[in-house]
Amino acid sequence: MEKIVNELESRFGLLSHREQRADLGEVCIRAEKTVNVLEWLKNHTGYVHLTHFSVVDWLEENEFQLTYLVTDPDAHHTLMVSARIDREKAEAESIHALWPEAVTYEQEFNEMYGIAFPGSPRQGVEFLLEGWNAMPPMRRDFDTVEYCNETYEFRPGRVHVDPKEVRMKFQAEQKRLAEEQKQREEATANSNEPEPQP
Amino acid sequence: MTETRLDKPHVTIAPDGSLDHAEIECGCFLGEDEMPAPLPFNEAMAKIKNWVRANSLNIIAYGTGCGAIEMRPLGTSRFDMERIGITMAPTSRQSNVLVVSGYLSVKTLKRVIRAYEQMPMPKWTVGLGSCTIDGGMYWDSYNTVKQVDRYLPLDIYIAGCMPRPEALIAGFKELMEKIKRGEANGWNEYLQNLDTYKANQRKVITDWGMPAYNW
Repeated sequence: MEKIVNELESRFGLLSHREQRADLGEVCIRAEKTVNVLEWLKNHTGYVHLTHFSVVDWLEENEFQLTYLVTDPDAHHTLMVSARIDREKAEAESIHALWPEAVTYEQEFNEMYGIAFPGSPRQGVEFLLEGWNAMPPMRRDFDTVEYCNETYEFRPGRVHVDPKEVRMKFQAEQKRLAEEQKQREEATANSNEPEPQP
Repeated sequence: MTETRLDKPHVTIAPDGSLDHAEIECGCFLGEDEMPAPLPFNEAMAKIKNWVRANSLNIIAYGTGCGAIEMRPLGTSRFDMERIGITMAPTSRQSNVLVVSGYLSVKTLKRVIRAYEQMPMPKWTVGLGSCTIDGGMYWDSYNTVKQVDRYLPLDIYIAGCMPRPEALIAGFKELMEKIKRGEANGWNEYLQNLDTYKANQRKVITDWGMPAYNW
């Protein structure tokens, strides 16, 4: 891990890095270096297998985080390479030339998050959503309940029970009972006090 | 059903607007007042037909959601639905029961409509699981329809998340009784209220991309 981090630091420059487990480490890089880093990892080190590719929506920071998990099967070590891109102008470089299986990931991110991967095949081709007109649904500012209320009809009589509300009601009731008990105990304690002798 | 099962060929207007000269077996496009008076012979025949139909249900082998996993133990040796006269059919042309097994996404709804409309009449539908009734645990999912009976008529609902094969057997028995009584008329209601159903379907399916009615 240390060796690969030092190599990456000297070649591309890292924003940060950490070791999560003995077989899992993370390096954060600048978005424009993504393809260079992954290409170097694939061609010059043992990290030849793209295990996973995912997106995290950091709404408060107005950024998308792209995370590539590449694995070295001989060393049994996985490296998380994460890069952040702007949320408003969501565009990232495609890695389909390195791993063709990334095309499906990129198609799905394009559909579900609205991230463009220029040059990747099947961009804009419908995958799970057909005839979708609203905002990409996996973005965190997409309100699913509001969309459902607009699009679908609910059967009348449906009751919605929120476990949080139930818990809060239960806790309030417990508190009230405890206070009542305390008051009763105080009252009995006061009444048991010996009356002052005349 | 007994009133509508009068065998008489009709020249009628097909659901897609064209004049249809095909001999439709039943008077399913006729209104209530246009029905010829039922003859005693026809009533008796309808009862016999209903009894036969109730005992030969062919389910289309198509699962829409996770509830389809409960159809497999039902079909295989442990619960063995063939002993009560239910079997699986590979295509919609060979089947007469559609099981909406679990949640129905908009993309799946399109395929289910195609399959349902291609099935020969009379046909019946079963809603399996809570999702078909009011969305179930997918009540706030952006891509799952909440009330399936707005888009397709359902004859029997089997509640549960998911219902066990025993519950499915009870549901199918109930469907059989309903067919024998001549009350399982969802297919007929679908054709009589076709405009309402089609309007509801087109509200959620924004890119239609298929015939107005899939004969």
